[in-house]
Amino acid sequence: METAELKQQLKKQIIEFLNLISVKPEDIKDDEPLFGEGLGLDSIDSIELIVLLGREYGIEIKDPKEGRKVLTDINTMVAYIEEHRTK
Amino acid sequence: MSKIFITGIGVISAIGNSVAENHEALKAGVCGIKKELDLFPSKYKGLMPFGQVPISNESLQNKLQVKEPGVTRTSMLALHAFNEAVRCSGITADDISSPETALIGANTVGGMCLTDELYHDANTSEAGSEYTHSYDCASVNLFLQKHNKMQGVINTINTACSSSANAIMYGAMLMQHGFAKRAIVGGTDSLAKFTINGFNALHILSSDLCTPFDESRKGLNLGEGAAFLVLEKEEDLNGKKVYAELTGYCNANDAYHPSSLSDEGDGPYLAMQGALKIADLTADKIDFINAHGTATENNDEVESRAMVRLFGTPPVFASTKGNIGHTLGAAGAIEAVYSILSLLNQEVYPSLHFKNAISSTGLIPVLEYKQMPVNHVMSNSFGFGGNCSSLIFSKA
Amino acid sequence: MYIHKIYCISPQQDPLQADIECINEPVDKKLLAVEPSYEHIPPGVLRRMGKSIRMGVGTALPLLDKINPVDGIIIGSANAGLDECVKFLIQIVDYDEGQLTPGNFVQSTGNVIAGQLGLISKNKGYNITHMHQGLAFENAVIDAIMQLNTNPAHSYLLGGVDEISPFHYNIETLNGAYKKEDISNKEIYQSNTPGCLPGEGAAMFVVSADKDAAIAKIKAIQTIHTDDVELVKQQLQLFLEKNNQDSDEIDLFISGENGDTRTLPFYEACETLLNTDTTVLRFKHLCGEYATASAIGLWYACQILQTQEIPPHLFKKNQQKKRTGIF
Repeated sequence: METAELKQQLKKQIIEFLNLISVKPEDIKDDEPLFGEGLGLDSIDSIELIVLLGREYGIEIKDPKEGRKVLTDINTMVAYIEEHRTK
Repeated sequence: MSKIFITGIGVISAIGNSVAENHEALKAGVCGIKKELDLFPSKYKGLMPFGQVPISNESLQNKLQVKEPGVTRTSMLALHAFNEAVRCSGITADDISSPETALIGANTVGGMCLTDELYHDANTSEAGSEYTHSYDCASVNLFLQKHNKMQGVINTINTACSSSANAIMYGAMLMQHGFAKRAIVGGTDSLAKFTINGFNALHILSSDLCTPFDESRKGLNLGEGAAFLVLEKEEDLNGKKVYAELTGYCNANDAYHPSSLSDEGDGPYLAMQGALKIADLTADKIDFINAHGTATENNDEVESRAMVRLFGTPPVFASTKGNIGHTLGAAGAIEAVYSILSLLNQEVYPSLHFKNAISSTGLIPVLEYKQMPVNHVMSNSFGFGGNCSSLIFSKA
Repeated sequence: MYIHKIYCISPQQDPLQADIECINEPVDKKLLAVEPSYEHIPPGVLRRMGKSIRMGVGTALPLLDKINPVDGIIIGSANAGLDECVKFLIQIVDYDEGQLTPGNFVQSTGNVIAGQLGLISKNKGYNITHMHQGLAFENAVIDAIMQLNTNPAHSYLLGGVDEISPFHYNIETLNGAYKKEDISNKEIYQSNTPGCLPGEGAAMFVVSADKDAAIAKIKAIQTIHTDDVELVKQQLQLFLEKNNQDSDEIDLFISGENGDTRTLPFYEACETLLNTDTTVLRFKHLCGEYATASAIGLWYACQILQTQEIPPHLFKKNQQKKRTGIF
């Protein structure tokens, strides 16, 4: 899958998984922080996103510190998925 | 306002089926948390430690003479502690069934210990299981009420892990404001696949024994149990034996996050401060704090900070979560009984599994059993939804 | 205790709709609440809320004034969070205790409505949730009275909320709680079968000890849990003797009658203790039956005391009598 396509798919999955009502995929910028600023997600969302990576891409992240790095923005998530996906 | 005294106590936990057994285990620093789980099949059996009460449902049924169908473990643990508390207080069956006796119980899982049955009943249109009346939290107290033919004010409080501290507070207030002459108050919760998976999903369950207030703590262990207290007013005592006086209570909200506490610990601080105010005590009068101390990264650091903020140098403190695990809706009531044991026997019990102090506060809990003068004990309970409660028990 | 502000979400767009032909009827045997757009709830928070949480928070926020904040939040709800519980349970089963998302679990705690309200309104005061089924809201009222006795300068948010969640509906159907036949809420009181028509909603109140400009006063409250009609009658008699020495004081009795033949004898027993000319009203055809429907009942009492107007379809008897006090 092309990176651009993966980004689009991931954005859709995030919106659905976190029930981000009234957010469209194009509202999520690739380099905008997902937490705090930007989308304004919180610590519970970060756990949900780690579960998303597990269920959709077969990626297991055990260390929360690594998780926080991976979940910085769409670019970091996609780079990690491309490198570690098992499905 | 009337003074409120505790005239009966009852408890069942991973370290004992009675007040006496729990007392001995606390003195000896017994840990009841083990990598065993016999109550239901679970992936985490053998992988994670739990504070399981070592009695099967069948034995509880026989021991308590529960013959009707649909009675959950949560309810049976409650009845076990309830029976001990009323026996201990010497109140009669007529007293218990009087319209002036309130029953205030707390729990958070209710019949959800029956995860698979609930899954079935919530999704079937065929015949339900025997438990369709037993899933909600109120079902526990309706069972106790029916079993004891009670007629007074009855209530179920669920404020997550502070539930039974709030039940004690509500019962005392009913008495002070003329809604009840006496109150039987407490809490119960049983281990459940539901809570195990819930806390695990939040990454706050430890796969080793929990280490309250330790620098490298890794999360909590779940436990189960129940405790009940009989509350009576000073003017109704007629010279009977009392165990302690309930002098202070307060609930406050941290208003920060659904499942964790704020860095400053406003909720814990306000709850402790409010309880001191009701008790009309200054902070230096507290001899011992039974801390919430769940051994999660968040709780222990925030609770420590709030103690320092209120007390400067906090008094002697300990957490019993290392003995019995976190018993959720039962925790406030079980720890009320433990606080009362400290007052009665003028002693404090060791906080287990601690190695190094949290670097930002340097606070060290009680590490060994010791006898000391104990006049006022504060007991903390903090729960999801920012719900923070502190109770103060005083030597009678 | 005096009631100062009221708000509700119910199955009726206009809970005081005068024309019975215009009231909302059950859909698929359920009277579902008409939910507003919840503009007071931040979207980031709204996305995680189940229906009872939305209704509770959405009913309370319009009453919470930033200039005069309340000192505490007291909620009664029999089943808040239950729907989220079962959703989490389904995850446990479907993913065989594997990697689960914690969102449902966090939202499943019984005190989620009061907790969210504390969080959103930054209220650090007393925060409690009573969950004792049909007496959940009544215990919340008792609690508010006690808090105000202790702190007369305070004000509190008091409310009752419950939803018809698919799972709770299923379990209560197995328990035989609801009517089996299709029936319009307009004819519910003529029904001669057991079971009620399920409903849902939220009603919230700001209460204080200040009588100036109050909508209503709660003079006394007593609860009893029993299946003995005679005991109810006897306790109500004592309650009236204690709190209503002037027996003419009660103009209006708002009955919880709901078309269920099993509970009708209790309400009829209560009516026998009132003066023969006391007006009797019913409201459950509008909101359906649920554990904290008494909160909507209190909302109706407040509205009627305030406006002195009653839609004709609420009357059971004695429509003519002048009304000043309410029971």
